[in-house]
Amino acid sequence: MAAELVTITIDGVELQVPKGTNLVEAAASGGIEIPVFCYEPRLGAPVGACRMCLCEVEGMPKPQAACTMGATDGLKLHTAATSKQAADAQNATLEFILVNHPLDCPVCDKGGECPLQDLTFRYGPGNTRMTFPKRTFDKPIPISPLIALDRERCILCYRCTRFSEGVAEDGQLVAVNRGANSMIATFEQEPYRAPFSGNVVELCPVGALTSTQYRFQARPWDIQNVPSVCGLCPVGCNTSVTIRENKAKRVQSRNHPEVDQGWLCDKGRFSSAHLTARDRITSPLRRKRRTGIEEIDWDTALDEAEALIRGANGRIVTALSGTETVELAYALARLLREGVGSSAAVLPEETSDALDPFRLPLSAIAHAELIVVVGDDPVLERAPIVDLWLRQARRAGAQVVTIGPAGSLQAAPGSAAATCERLAGDRDELGRQLRVSERAILIWSGPGGHGGATLAALAADLGFHERPGCGAFHLPATPNGRGVAEAWAAASDREDEGGEPIGLLIVSGDEAASDPNVRHLAEHAEHVIAITLFHGLAVGWADLVLPATSYLERDGSLVNLEGRVQRLRRAVTPPVPDEIAWISKLGARFGVEISPHPSVLFEELSPKVLGGVTYGETGDRAPLPPRPPLAAPTGVAPAPEPAPVAAAAGSFQLVRYRALFSGPAVERIPELQFQRPADELELSAEDASRLGIAGGDTVVVSSEGATVTLRARVNRRLIAGAVRAAEEHVRDLADIVIVARGAGA
Amino acid sequence: MANELIPATFKGFAVTFREMFKKPITQQYPEYKRPVYPRFRGRHQLHLHANGLEKCVGCSLCAAACPSDCIRVVADENTANNRVSAGERYARIYEINLSRCIFCGYCELACPFDAITLGNEFEISEYSRDDLIYTKDMLLGRPIKVVPVADPNLYDTPVPYYKTHS
Amino acid sequence: MPSTEFEKIVLAGADDHDLTRLSEYERVGGYQSLRKALGMERQAVLDELLAAGLRGRGGAGFPMGRKASFVPKPEQTTKPIYLTINADESEPGTFKDREIMQRVPHRLIEGALITAYTIGSNHVFIYIRGEYLSEFEIVRAALAEARDRGLVGANVLGSGWNCTIVLHRGAGAYICGEETALLESLEGKRGQPRSKPPFPALQGLYASPTLINNVETIATVPPIIEKGGAWYAQFGVPNSAGTRVFSLSGNVANGGNYELPMGISLRELIYDIGGGIPDGRKLKAIIPGGSSTPVLTADDIDTALDFDAIGAAGSMLGSGAIIAIDDRACMVQLALRVAQFYQHESCGKCTPCREGTRWMVNIIEKVETGHAQQGDLDLLLSVCDRILGKCLCPLGDAAAMPVASYVDRFREEFQAHIDQGCCPFGDSSSLDRILSPVQQHARLLRELAVIA
Repeated sequence: MAAELVTITIDGVELQVPKGTNLVEAAASGGIEIPVFCYEPRLGAPVGACRMCLCEVEGMPKPQAACTMGATDGLKLHTAATSKQAADAQNATLEFILVNHPLDCPVCDKGGECPLQDLTFRYGPGNTRMTFPKRTFDKPIPISPLIALDRERCILCYRCTRFSEGVAEDGQLVAVNRGANSMIATFEQEPYRAPFSGNVVELCPVGALTSTQYRFQARPWDIQNVPSVCGLCPVGCNTSVTIRENKAKRVQSRNHPEVDQGWLCDKGRFSSAHLTARDRITSPLRRKRRTGIEEIDWDTALDEAEALIRGANGRIVTALSGTETVELAYALARLLREGVGSSAAVLPEETSDALDPFRLPLSAIAHAELIVVVGDDPVLERAPIVDLWLRQARRAGAQVVTIGPAGSLQAAPGSAAATCERLAGDRDELGRQLRVSERAILIWSGPGGHGGATLAALAADLGFHERPGCGAFHLPATPNGRGVAEAWAAASDREDEGGEPIGLLIVSGDEAASDPNVRHLAEHAEHVIAITLFHGLAVGWADLVLPATSYLERDGSLVNLEGRVQRLRRAVTPPVPDEIAWISKLGARFGVEISPHPSVLFEELSPKVLGGVTYGETGDRAPLPPRPPLAAPTGVAPAPEPAPVAAAAGSFQLVRYRALFSGPAVERIPELQFQRPADELELSAEDASRLGIAGGDTVVVSSEGATVTLRARVNRRLIAGAVRAAEEHVRDLADIVIVARGAGA
Repeated sequence: MANELIPATFKGFAVTFREMFKKPITQQYPEYKRPVYPRFRGRHQLHLHANGLEKCVGCSLCAAACPSDCIRVVADENTANNRVSAGERYARIYEINLSRCIFCGYCELACPFDAITLGNEFEISEYSRDDLIYTKDMLLGRPIKVVPVADPNLYDTPVPYYKTHS
Repeated sequence: MPSTEFEKIVLAGADDHDLTRLSEYERVGGYQSLRKALGMERQAVLDELLAAGLRGRGGAGFPMGRKASFVPKPEQTTKPIYLTINADESEPGTFKDREIMQRVPHRLIEGALITAYTIGSNHVFIYIRGEYLSEFEIVRAALAEARDRGLVGANVLGSGWNCTIVLHRGAGAYICGEETALLESLEGKRGQPRSKPPFPALQGLYASPTLINNVETIATVPPIIEKGGAWYAQFGVPNSAGTRVFSLSGNVANGGNYELPMGISLRELIYDIGGGIPDGRKLKAIIPGGSSTPVLTADDIDTALDFDAIGAAGSMLGSGAIIAIDDRACMVQLALRVAQFYQHESCGKCTPCREGTRWMVNIIEKVETGHAQQGDLDLLLSVCDRILGKCLCPLGDAAAMPVASYVDRFREEFQAHIDQGCCPFGDSSSLDRILSPVQQHARLLRELAVIA
C-alpha cells in the first residue's frame, strides 16, 4: 500500500516523502542531519523528551521537536544549519545537558564513540558558564554482573527505560525521583536480570550504562569491527565483533532489519570470552593407554586420524552438532563420503526444507494479525529474538495464541502434532481464522515436528503458500542444523557401505560431545575422534581429540531458521588451524580434493543446495531468497510423531527444555553465570496445592531409579499433570516422573 | 684558456688556505654538549602526583593524537588493593615505540592530566630496536643520562607550568 | 464596596445554605439544569456553552465550548469518550477550587454530569490533589449522596444514559496539574507530560478522546444551562465573559476567595474588597495570576482583571490568584522562593526545565547571599531565555517567565544585592522565614557557602 507522498522543504531542499514520515527520518533521507538523543524508532512512539532536535518550523513561533512531527504537505523546516533560532535552541539543550554532566571523558568507556561528545562538538557551546557544584551520585553501580550504571553521566533520555518497558517488556529499569534528582534504577536495587539486558548498553548515548566485560578494554581508535553473524542459536543475528590485537573484546549488533532489528540477546552478546577460556584445547591430544593423554603435533595427529579412519573399514558414523558451518560440514562430508564411503551421520534433530514455500522474514511477525505458536518449549529459550518479534506483534494489536503446556491455550506436552491436525480441521475456530487471514504466522517451538514437515503440512492445508503475508517458522534446536544436513547430503551421491558395529565415531563440535545420546553411541564404538573446543567434554572418552575453532574464528556460512544464508567472518585468528585446512590435508590422503578455502567450497555447494546464491551476496545484510512454489504432495505422509506417553495417576509428564543460558560456551563466562537456569521444577497451581507444595519448597523428582532434588516453583499457566525443568538439571530422568515433597524447606 | 684557469684555481686554493687557520665552529660532541632549549622535545616522561599516585589514567588520548601510532595503552580498573592512579582507571600497559616516535609533542598536548610531557633528553640510542620500546616503568623513571639545558631566563617564551612542577 | 454587592454564579447560594448537602442544594434549584440538559440535544447544550464565552479557569483560558467541540462525537469514534476534571490545584496562590469543592460540591458534580452528557461520555474522572484530604472527603460524601439518589451511575434520572464518576487522589505533584501529565498519572504511569500532538481531545486517557477541564469551569456549567449562555455573557467584559473566583492573598487585610465579574480592577480587589495593605505599608508588587505569571509593579494597580488587560500589562491572568506584596519583601527572596518551587516540581523529563530550574536557583541564591558578580544577572536572564519556548510542557515557561520578570522589573534590587554584597533588607524582609524548608534547598545553600 503506497502512502500518499507530500512535499516538504528542509533547509531549502525540497523532498518528497510519504505523508506522516517522521521529520528526522525525512531529513536523513535527504542527507540532512537533525541531532537526536531520545529519538529511537525501534522504541515506539517518539517522546520528545531531550529537546535536542528543536528546529524552526515556518509558521510556528516556538522551536518544535522535529522527532515528534510528521511530514505534512507544504511543511517548511529549518535546522540548525540555516536557522539561528534552531541553532540557538540546540546549543541551549547541549548546554543544559552539560550543566550537570561530569567531566569523565578520559575515564569513560564511551569516549570516542559518544554521541554527546560528537553533538557538542557540532552544535554545542565551546565552554561552560556553570560555576556551581554539579549534582552527584554514587558511581558506578553494578546493576548486574554484566552492566554498570553511572548515574552522573545519565542525560535522562529514557531510552533504557523505554526499552525495558516497551520492547523487552521486563520492566526492570525504571526512572525514580523527580526533576533534577531523577535517576535510573532497578526495582528495589534488584539486579537487572533479563535475557536482553545488554541492549541498553548499545542504546545509551552516553557512558551511563556500560558493559562490565568491555570496561576499559579498548578505545575506538584501537579497535576494528568485523561484520559477522552469531552462531549460538538458529536466528543468526547480525553482529559486529570488536577486536583489538587479535582478541575479541565485545560483540555489537549490526542491525539486520528483517532478522534482529538491531537487538541481541545476552548470550550472543557476552559470550565472546569463551575463545580464551582456560580449558581451551590448543593442540591435538591422543589417548595413551594407561597413562592418560598426550599432546601431539599436527602431522602425528593427521597420521593417527588416517589410521583410525582406515581401520574402521567404512563403519564410520559422524555425530554432528549442527553448529558447523555449511562449508565445514561439506568438507567433512566429502572426506568421509567420497573418500571413505561412510555417509552415516547423526544430527540432534531432524531437518527439512518443507517449510520453504511458506518462507517469510522474521520481521513479518511484527506485521501479522494472527500468530499461533505450538510446541512445548518457550520461544525465548529457543530463539530469543523471535520472542521480541512476538511482543512487538502483540503491542501492535496482533492476536498471539500459544498452544502448549504453559501457553495461553493449555495443551498437554507432546501434543503439538495433534494440535496441528486439529487446526487443519474445519471444526476449529482458530483454524478457520488462520484459513482466511491475510497475515497469519505459524510457529513450532519444541521438539519433534520432523524439522518443520508437520507444520508445513498444516500450512499447505491452510493455503499459506497462496498468501504472501502468511508464513510458518520451525524453531530448530541447532543453529545450522539444516545447513549441515543439506551440505552433508550434497557432498556425494555415493551410497553408504557401512555396517555394524561402529568402527569409528567422529564427534564434531562441543554440543555433540556433551550430548548424552552421542556418549551412548561412543560406548558402542571401537574408536572415537572428537573435534571440540574445550577440555572436559570429550577428552575423557575419545581416542583422538582435534582442537576445534569457534564461530567467531571461522569464515563460512550458516543457514538460519528462515532459510537465509548468512556469512560468518573470521574475527580473530584462532590459536589452532581451521578445521577445513586439515580436513583438506586429510582429504588428499584419501584421494579427495577438498579446497582449504571456504569460499571455494561455498561456490561448489551453493548451486546444489543453497539456490545458487553467491558468497558475496551473503556478506552484508543477506537477503531471504523468494519462496519456491509448493511441491506436489509426494503421497508419502511424514512419519507420525511418537504419541506422548500418558502419565498414570500420581505421576507427571516431564517437559524438559534447553535453557537459553546453557551450553559449553556460556558455562565458561563468569559474568553470565547469574543468568543460568535456577534448579527449579515448575508445577501447575492445582498440582502444587494437591501435593501440598508451596513455591520454594524442596521437591524430589524421581523416575526409574534416578532421583533429582529441586526447588518447586508454581507456574499458574502450566497445565495440570505436567512439570517442567531445564534440561541440564533433569538429564538423568525419564519422561514420566514422580514428584514428592522433599524433607526440609 | 689555461691562463684563465690557473688564477681561478689558485684563488680557490687561497680560500682553503685561509680557512685552515680560522677557528672551526664545529662543536665536538660528546666532549662538549650544547645546551638544549628549555622546551626542546626529547624523551617522554610520565609523572606522578605529589602523593605518589600516577597521573596517567589510561585514557589513551595520547595514542589517538599520535601521528605515528607509536603509543600503546591498555587500561585497567583501580581496585582497593591495587590503587595506581586517582580515580577509576589506570594504564596497566603503557608503551611508546621510540623508534617510531617523531617527538612532535602531540601526546603532551592531548593529555588532559599533564601526565606525559616531553623532557629534554635525546641520548637514547640503543643497539636493538626492541630496546627502544619503552615501557611504563622506564618512562616513569628519570633518565640515566642528563643533557645540559639552557637557562630558561634567557628566553622570552615561557615554559609551561606542568613541565617543571609535578 | 464589599464583595456581596456582586452577583455570584459559581458560589451562588453558598453563603446562606449548606450546599454540601444534596437536599439543601436541591432547595436552591440544584440538579434542575441537569434535568433540563438531559432533555436537550447534545449540540444544543454545546451551543449554550459556546454562547456563554466561558474560558477555561485553570490557567490557560482556552474557550471551553470550543475545546469541547474538538472531542469527536460518539458516532465518529469507536473508543469510549472520557471527561476528566482537573482538581489538582497546585498553582501557588490559588485556592479557589478548594473553596468550590468545600462549599458547592454538588454544583461541581452537576456540571460534570452535564458536560459528560454534552460530549457523549459515560465516564468522568475527578483527579483531586492528594493534599486536599478534607475536600476529598466532602466530594466523596456528595458523590455518595448523588449516587443514592440516582443522579450518578446507571440510568441517570431515568434518562437511560449512564455516567459514573470516579474520584482519584493525586500524590503531591504540581506537574500533574498539566493535562497530559494528569492523564499519565491517572493511567498509573509516571506523572510526566506527553508531547502534543496528539492532543487529548483525540488521544487522551487510554488513547481515547478526552476532555479535560478545571473545577471552576465545570462548576460554572449548571448556571449557564439554567439561565442560558447569553445571560452569562452579560457578565464581565468582552472576551472575558462571566465571573471568576479570585483568590486574594499576600499582604492584604482580607485575603480569601472572592467571586467577582471579570474586568474588575486590581485596585478595587486589593483595596476596596481586600481591605488594602495592613500596617500602613505600601504596595510594592502584585502577582496577578499565580506564581507562574510575570510580576506587576504597584504602578499597574489600575489594570483590569481580564485576559486582555493583564496581557497588555505584560503578564497573564492565569489561575486568577492575586498575591499582593508590600514593601517589606525582598524581591530577590521572592524570586528565589518562586524558582525553588519550580525546581522542586519539575518532572525531569525534558532537559531545559530539569537542568535550567536548578541552575536558576543556584544563581539567585548566589545573588541573595551577596556573592554574585555583575555578569550573573545577565547569565540569569540568558538561562531564562534558553528555557523559554523550548520545553516539553508549560512548566518550564512558568518558571522562566516570572524569574525574568523579577529581574526586569526590580533590577535595582538585584543590583543592590550585588553592589552591597548582601541582602539590603538584612534580616528584616517579610519573606525571611518563608524560604523553603525543604531539605535539598538547605543543602544547596550549604554548598554555596563552601564556594564562598
